[in-house]
Amino acid sequence: MRARARVWDVAVLVLLAVWATPFFWQVRTSFTPDSELLATNRALPASPTTIHYRAVAERSVMPRALGNSLAVASLTTLVALALGLPAAYAIARLPVPGKALLLLVIVASTAFPQIATVSPLYLLMRALGLRDTWTALVMANTSFALPLLIWLLAGFIREVPIEVEEAAFLDGAGRLGVLGRIVVPLVAPGVASAALLTFLASWNEFLFAYTFTATEASRTVPVALALFPGVFEVPWGDIAAASILASLPPIIIVVGLQRWLVHGLVAGALKE
Amino acid sequence: MGRAALVLLALLLLVGCAERRESGGPITLVFKHAKIFGPADPIPGLLREFEAAHPGVTVRSEELTWTSDEQHQFYVINLEGATPTFDVLMLDVIWVPEFAQAGWLLDLSPWVTRQELAPHFPAAVAAATWGDRVWGVPWNMNVGVLYYRADLLAKYGLTPPRTWEALVEQAELIRARERDPKLDGVLWQGKQYEGLVCNVVEQFWASGTALFGDDGRVLPDLERAAGALAFMRGLIDRGVSPGWVTAGDEELTRRAFGDGHAIFLRSWPYAMDLFEQPDSPVRGRVGIAAVPGHVAGAAGVGTTGGFHLAVNRRTRHAEAAVALVRFLGSERGQRALTAAGVALYPTRTALYSDPVAVGAHPNMPRFHDLALTARPRPVTPYYLMISTTVQPEFSAALVRVKTPRVALEHARLRLEHLLAVR
Amino acid sequence: MTARQRADRRAGLAFVAPAVLVLAALALYPGLWVIWLSLQQRIPIFGIARFVGVDHYTFLASDPRMWNAARVTLVFAVVSVTLELILGLAAALALQRQRLGRRLAVSLLLLAWALPSVVTAKLFEWLYHPSAGLVNVLLGGRTLNWLGDPGLALAGLIAADVWRTMPFVALLCYARLLTIPGDVYEAARVDGAGRRAMLTSITLPLLRPVLLIALLFRTLDALRAFDLMFVLTGGGPAGTTETLTVYAYRSLFQTLQLGFGSAIGVVIFTLVRVVAAAYLGVLRRAGATA
Repeated sequence: MRARARVWDVAVLVLLAVWATPFFWQVRTSFTPDSELLATNRALPASPTTIHYRAVAERSVMPRALGNSLAVASLTTLVALALGLPAAYAIARLPVPGKALLLLVIVASTAFPQIATVSPLYLLMRALGLRDTWTALVMANTSFALPLLIWLLAGFIREVPIEVEEAAFLDGAGRLGVLGRIVVPLVAPGVASAALLTFLASWNEFLFAYTFTATEASRTVPVALALFPGVFEVPWGDIAAASILASLPPIIIVVGLQRWLVHGLVAGALKE
Repeated sequence: MGRAALVLLALLLLVGCAERRESGGPITLVFKHAKIFGPADPIPGLLREFEAAHPGVTVRSEELTWTSDEQHQFYVINLEGATPTFDVLMLDVIWVPEFAQAGWLLDLSPWVTRQELAPHFPAAVAAATWGDRVWGVPWNMNVGVLYYRADLLAKYGLTPPRTWEALVEQAELIRARERDPKLDGVLWQGKQYEGLVCNVVEQFWASGTALFGDDGRVLPDLERAAGALAFMRGLIDRGVSPGWVTAGDEELTRRAFGDGHAIFLRSWPYAMDLFEQPDSPVRGRVGIAAVPGHVAGAAGVGTTGGFHLAVNRRTRHAEAAVALVRFLGSERGQRALTAAGVALYPTRTALYSDPVAVGAHPNMPRFHDLALTARPRPVTPYYLMISTTVQPEFSAALVRVKTPRVALEHARLRLEHLLAVR
Repeated sequence: MTARQRADRRAGLAFVAPAVLVLAALALYPGLWVIWLSLQQRIPIFGIARFVGVDHYTFLASDPRMWNAARVTLVFAVVSVTLELILGLAAALALQRQRLGRRLAVSLLLLAWALPSVVTAKLFEWLYHPSAGLVNVLLGGRTLNWLGDPGLALAGLIAADVWRTMPFVALLCYARLLTIPGDVYEAARVDGAGRRAMLTSITLPLLRPVLLIALLFRTLDALRAFDLMFVLTGGGPAGTTETLTVYAYRSLFQTLQLGFGSAIGVVIFTLVRVVAAAYLGVLRRAGATA
């Protein structure tokens, strides 16, 4: 019986590894020299090389793009947290006038297709002279990250027992103090996970970045990858290396967060 | 919380303001240009010469992205914004009216007179002016031509075909006798991009019709145009052209012909220099002819193309920038294009009979004659919009997703809607 | 109202205001502005900004490219979501029975979902390469032109999308399955229920609400999908993978017709809202009867 279970376990792992094959194939490609690229009858390259990674690091815009993505994603997360934490607290605990409508509006704005808001935002950025800047991307990313963040954080804050806050009030703390010194530390794991998800969404964002960035000054990783230069033949090896580099932060976040994703986010959300 | 907000605000303001320091003192001009084909690049030498003649001015040259569409996108995005990150730009001729209308180019009329433009090809001059003002200096001439394997045609006693029907006959005859499975009949650019429009428009002309009538009507003779498209599709169906031409651009088709895998190629003058390279398999075996016509249509006519030099209207160094474009377009500047190994052709007609130039490029007189009879694509600020509107329709007809007739009816529908803006 | 309550109200407004202002400026206002734009002929580079009423919409109503895009979007959404649900459910069920290496299994599963869509596009572009791509190699060395053949491109696109989003469905189902206590299955086994019966009378009914939620989210996402098809095929060849979003984007930023492109954007927006409203209606009714 146990042997059968073990066979099953291995079989599932193998199937899932097969599912992930496209990714592993790209890893393989990134270490394959150009001469072997078009001859794909081997699973692993005969003479693996780091030439593509070096080319990407030294001669492409990827390093700059990685910097841009890091900055934009970090700033977006900071701004979204700064705006979202107080708002989430207010929604969870405070009597906000028109709260029901507010919640509806917040949830509804998550359904806005980016393609519909990109043209007005384009005109807005143009009018503000923010084309090709980090600010434009941070603003655009915040617009779609904020609603989800508020919703998540409100859920976490609601789980904090109200007595803890009551005790702090009795000690004479104001609302802001309670939020900052009592509530936030208690929901810190949830906040951290939500922040990482925001970072992830901003890192992966493509449509706004493609529209608002013009040069390497603000180009983020997805756009740089989409516009990867190929003169005569497409440099598959270099693109593969760039792809792997672009994927490292998201993979680290998602794989690292998986326990929370499974238990915290999904199970919690499903309880609603 | 307040303090944090202030810090955040400061951060945002900081990153929002890109650093734009004025360079006082010596002037640095930025010259944006496309990658130059061919083994030799005349630009660095020319720029150094200009700098020597203009002390205090340095020119930094920056390369554009690869494809014409991406270059256009780059220019649109950058010229629309306020910051002038470049002063002099190399423009595809089809963009000049659009950029002029959009107010992105410096009006060169005060500096460049009609007399100064007289030595250039009339077609090039026409493409550099819009609304009676001069917007660019002609620099590089292009015309659609037919390349053929002179050795193969000679072997079977054939002369270069004047009609597509003759071309098909010749291609099938040669392929049958040569029995080389890797030898294709005729290669052309059928990928969904600007190059496709050039090919289709040439076929329209050869069939006796055009994309726009003289009165501006869209596709005045739809039947003939559909026939032209059907003929192009027929080339693939009959096997005269390989299926991959529907993904073929200039370089893909040039390489295949240059490796000896085709009898005919419709392309641009630049390819000739690459065919004549020492290590080229087809060296000395390539001939040039006019783009064929159709038996029941008209004589063959190639489209014109090329690049002009213009000045960004928002440049901070107008005088220097104008001096640069005039230098590059001058006799001295264009002569550098005729050096051996440079695959660019000048717009000054006199250079085409210059002994030194012809010595380096024996085919120049031939290109000159072909360029004189060539026609431009529609000259209008809306050309890019027109092109991106019809490209998918042409492509749909070629890959058999729509019949040529339906594709052109759709094209007409969309163009009429697009141009109702006028 | 007590002083404390008044203070709370003030605090509530103050806490919520910044976020609401930002959302109003960057999401709500554009959401309304785009409708206004769609009623104009707007070409910024030529400075054209002219009110034309519902001109664009009347054109779209009989525009063959619009209907083609709608068809492609619908086919894409329906086929993609169906495959995701089936495969995601299967993966979740498999994971539920997993004893060893669960962490590794979930990690492998989540790899596909974690990648940026552009990375996935480039990945599959390489996989679909006519001569060197893994897909053709595994098919026995054929040279199918996955992304260039009008008959194959949409299938290739759907495969890439399913690969990318199946883990999300699997994750949702898996999380729900984890909350089912083992005793429920124990009791059923004691009662003599076979595995099939357990699946149909315990697991699936408990999963139904999750599947409906997944169906809703995935359908809305599929209708709005842009990144993958834009980068992988650009809507080609010949519009066989051109969804409504790609059509809108090309109209907006290739032909720079901001008014016309906005009209297509509004159509997409409306479609998404209608579908969401319809689903929520169904969900509510399903919740009522569950």
